[in-house]
Amino acid sequence: MTGSALVSLLTLWMLPFFSAIVIWALGPQLRRAAGVLGSAAVLLSFVLACALFGVATAPGGLHVTPLIGWAPGFTFGLLLDPLSLVWVLIITGVGGLIHLYSIGYMAADKAVARFFAYLNFFVFAMLTLVLSDNLVGLLVGWGLVGVASYFLIGFWFYKPSAVAAALKAFVINVFGDVGLMYAIFVLYGATGSIAYADVFAKAASLPSGVILTACIALFIAAAAKSAQVPLQTWLPDAMEGPTPVSALIHAATMVTAGVYLIARFAPLWNASPQAQELVGTIGAVTALLAAILGTAQWDIKRILAYSTMSQIGYMIMGVGVGAYEAGVLHFFTHAFFKAQLFLGAGLVIHALHEEQDIRKMGGLRRRTPFAFVAMAIGTLAIIGVPGFSGFYSKDAVIYGTLEHGHPLLYAAAVVTAGITAYYMFRMLFVAFGGHYRGEVPEARLGMAQREPSEPVHAREGHVPDWVMQIPVGVLIVGSIGAGYLAIGGAQSPWWRFLSSLYGGAQATAPAPISELLSSLIVLAIVIAGVAVAYYRYGTRSATASAVERLRGEALRMPAVLTNAFYFDAAIELLFVRPARRLGALFAGFVDPAVIDAGVRDVVWLTGAAGYLFRALQTGLVRGYALTIVASAACFVAWFVLTGAAR
Amino acid sequence: MILFWILSVVLVASAVFTVSQKSPVYSVVGLLINFLALAAFYFTLDAEFLAVIQIVIYSGAILMLFVFVIALLSSGIGPFREGPNRMPRAFVPAVAVVALFLGLVVYGIARGPLVPTPHQPTSTIGAAGNANVFGSIADFGVALFTTYLLPFEVTAFILMVAVIGVVLIAGDAVPQPTLGHHAAPKRKRRRESIVKSR
Amino acid sequence: MTGFDASPYAALSAVMFFIGVGGVILRRNPLIMLMSIELMFNAANLALVAFSRAWVNNAGHVFVFLVVTVAAAEAAIALAIVVALFRRSTNVDVDEVARLRG
Repeated sequence: MTGSALVSLLTLWMLPFFSAIVIWALGPQLRRAAGVLGSAAVLLSFVLACALFGVATAPGGLHVTPLIGWAPGFTFGLLLDPLSLVWVLIITGVGGLIHLYSIGYMAADKAVARFFAYLNFFVFAMLTLVLSDNLVGLLVGWGLVGVASYFLIGFWFYKPSAVAAALKAFVINVFGDVGLMYAIFVLYGATGSIAYADVFAKAASLPSGVILTACIALFIAAAAKSAQVPLQTWLPDAMEGPTPVSALIHAATMVTAGVYLIARFAPLWNASPQAQELVGTIGAVTALLAAILGTAQWDIKRILAYSTMSQIGYMIMGVGVGAYEAGVLHFFTHAFFKAQLFLGAGLVIHALHEEQDIRKMGGLRRRTPFAFVAMAIGTLAIIGVPGFSGFYSKDAVIYGTLEHGHPLLYAAAVVTAGITAYYMFRMLFVAFGGHYRGEVPEARLGMAQREPSEPVHAREGHVPDWVMQIPVGVLIVGSIGAGYLAIGGAQSPWWRFLSSLYGGAQATAPAPISELLSSLIVLAIVIAGVAVAYYRYGTRSATASAVERLRGEALRMPAVLTNAFYFDAAIELLFVRPARRLGALFAGFVDPAVIDAGVRDVVWLTGAAGYLFRALQTGLVRGYALTIVASAACFVAWFVLTGAAR
Repeated sequence: MILFWILSVVLVASAVFTVSQKSPVYSVVGLLINFLALAAFYFTLDAEFLAVIQIVIYSGAILMLFVFVIALLSSGIGPFREGPNRMPRAFVPAVAVVALFLGLVVYGIARGPLVPTPHQPTSTIGAAGNANVFGSIADFGVALFTTYLLPFEVTAFILMVAVIGVVLIAGDAVPQPTLGHHAAPKRKRRRESIVKSR
Repeated sequence: MTGFDASPYAALSAVMFFIGVGGVILRRNPLIMLMSIELMFNAANLALVAFSRAWVNNAGHVFVFLVVTVAAAEAAIALAIVVALFRRSTNVDVDEVARLRG
C-alpha cells in the first residue's frame, strides 16, 4: 500500500462529502455553479477510482486500517477490493453522468443547490457503505443512504404524494436497518469482531444455526434496501422523486446495496445452503411478480421501477444461489442500461412538460428521436438481445441457477425474461409508436380525471440539449459494451477480475443442458414476448385504434394488478393498523397517566420547594450576610472539630 | 509583649467603638484609631512598608473618602435616620452565630502554638535597603515586581475598572438643573430609573 | 528571632474580624456596614502579616498589598452605590433596599 494510493482513496471517499457541504452552505450564491461543482467532485472521484484500479485488483486489495478508532476494539477502515471497486466505479461513474444530466434536468428548479447537495451526500453515503471494511461502517453507510434517499424522494416536498412516498421508503428502509443491526449483533456475539476479515475467517467454524440467523437478518436488510418481496412496496412510490434521482438511487446504485451485501457476505452464504435457498427463491419470486406488475403500469417511471425491481430480483437470485460473478455482472450492466432508460424517460418527461402517463404519449419516435434511440437500446439491453450487455449478464444469472442446481428458479427466471420483453416493448410501442395522443382527453383513454395541474416549475433557465444528451450517449456505449467483458465464461476478464473473491467457491453440479441451449431457450421466450407486445400494440391496426384499445385495457385491468397484489393493503392491515392502535393506546393512556403525570409531579414538587424557599428570599442584605456567616461557620466547625486544619 | 497587649486593647476597643456608634462620623474616628494601631502592629512585625501603606492609603485616602460621602449624604438632610428595623429578631441569632464562629476559630488557634516547623532562620535585622533582609522595602519590592508581577498588574486594572464604575454609578446621577436642552430630561429619567430605590 | 508564635496575632485578628461581622449583620447604616467590612479586611491583613513574619516569607506582604488595593476599589464603588441609592431617601438604611426580594 503506497501513500499516494491511500491519499487517493481518502480523497475519492471524502470529495463528494465536502462538495455537499460546500454546496449546501453556499447554495444561494452558487446557483448554476452548484451543479458543475457537484458533478466535478463526483467525476473526479471516478477518475481517482480508475487510477486505483491496479492497486485494488492486487491480492488483498487496498486495505486502509485502522483509519479511525471509535472505541477500543472497534476501528473503521477502508477496503477497496474488486467487489467494492465495481460499486465505486458505478457509483462515481454512472453517478457522475447522472449529476451532469441533472444540470440540465433541474436547471429550472429553484432549489437546484439543495438537490446537488443531497445528491453528493448520497454518493458519499454510498461510498461509505461499499468502502467500509467492517460491519458498523457498513451500517452507517446503510443508514445514510436511506436518509439521502428519503431527502431525495421528498425533494419536491410541496407535493403530498412525494412526502408520503419518502416516508414510506424511509420506514421500510429502517426496518431493514434493524435487520442489519441484528445481524451485526449476532455476528459480533459469535466472532467477537466487527471486521469483515475476522468474521469471514471464523465463518466456517460457526454453528450453522448462528449463520442461518445472521443470514436471514442480513437478508431482511437486503430485501428492504433492494425492494424484494415482501418489502418492495416503497420502490414504485419512490418514483415521486426527480427522474435523475430515480436513475441514480432507485435504479443504479442504492437499491443494489442488497446485492452488494449478499456478495460481500458470500462466505456466510456459502456456509448456509438453507439461506441460499431462501434468498434465491425470494429473488425469483420478486423478479416474476414485479415483471407481471410491470405489464399493468401506465406511468413510464413506474414501469421502469417495476423492471428495476424485477432485475434486482435476478441479481439477488444470482448472488443467492452462489453465482456471485453473474449477479454482480448483472448489477454492473443493469446500472448502465437502467440509468439510461430512466434518463431517456426523463428526456421524454422533460419534453412533454411533466407528462408521465404513456397513454398520453404516442408517436414520440418523431418528436424526441434521441430519447427514442436511448430507450430502444436500453430496452434491447434489458430484455437480453445478443450483442447488448443485458444478454451476457442475464443469461449468466439464468444459467447460474441451473448450474447451482435450482431448476425451479431457472424456470421462473426464463418466464420472467419473456414477460420482461413483453412489458418493455409494450412501453416502447405505446409511448413511441403510433400517433401522439397528448391532446386526447383523459376520459377517452380510460384515465382517472386529473386535477388541471399547474406546471411544477416554470421552464425558464434553458440549458443546451447536449448537457442532457451526452450522459445518455455515454451510457448507451456502456449498456452495449459492458457485457463484452464477460464473453468467454469463466475465462473472461470479468470472472478473472472477481476470482480473488469467488474463485474457490465453484461447487457446481453439471447442468442438464448446455449454456448455448439455455441461451437459445431464453431467446425464444424473449422473442415470443416481443411478438405478443407487437401483436397487441405495434401492428398497423393496433396503432390505428390505439385510443380505444388503451381505454379498453385500462378499464379491464384486473384489480389484483392495479393494487400490486395487495401488498400495501396487507402491510396496512398487519403492521400499520396495529401500530396505530398501539399509538392510540399510548396517546390515550400511557402518555397522560404515566409520563405526563410524572412531569406534573415534578412541577408540583418544584413549585412546593419554591414556595418554601421563597421565605428565605427576603431581600434584606443583612439576612444574606448572616446566612453566609452561618454557612462559613459550619465549614470552619468541620475543619476545626475534625482536625483537618492541621 | 507589653506593647502587644496595649495595642491589642486599643485595636479591639476602637473596633467596637467603630461598630457601635450611632453617627458614622464617630465611626470614622474609631476606624482611624484602629488603623493607626494596626500600623503600629505592622512595625512590630517587621513590615515597615505595609505600615506606611496602611497610614497613607487607608487612613489618608479611604477614610477621607468615607468622610466625604458622609458629608455629601448628610448635607441638607440633617442627621442620618434609619427606618423601621425589618429584622428585629435577628439580634440573638446573629450574636449567637458570630460568637460560636469566633469561639471555634479561637479554639482552633489555641490548640497549639502557630510556630512554623521546620523553622527557617533568616535574618530579620539589617539595613532596609538590603534585599536579603525580610520585610525590608527592597525585599518587598523585588517580590512584588518579579514573582507577583502579574497580580500587581491586575490590581492596576481593577483600580481602573473601579474608577470607571464609580463615575458611571455616582457621577452622572447628580441632579443637574436642566439647561433647556431637549435631550437632557430623557437622559436623566433613564439614569434615575437605575438608581431609584423606592 | 526563632520560634515566633503567631497565635496571639491570629486570635486578635479573629476577634477583630468578628467585630466586623457583627457590625455588618446588625447595623443598618450602610456607611457603618462598609466600615465594618474594612475592619474585616484589616483583620485578615493582620493575620497575613503575622503569618508572613512567622514563616519569614514575604508572600503575605504582597497579599496584604493586593488586599489594600482591592479594598480601596471596593470602598470607592460601594460608596458610589451608597451615594446613588440614598441621595433622595430620607432614611439611610439598607433594609429599605429590598428590591432583591423574590
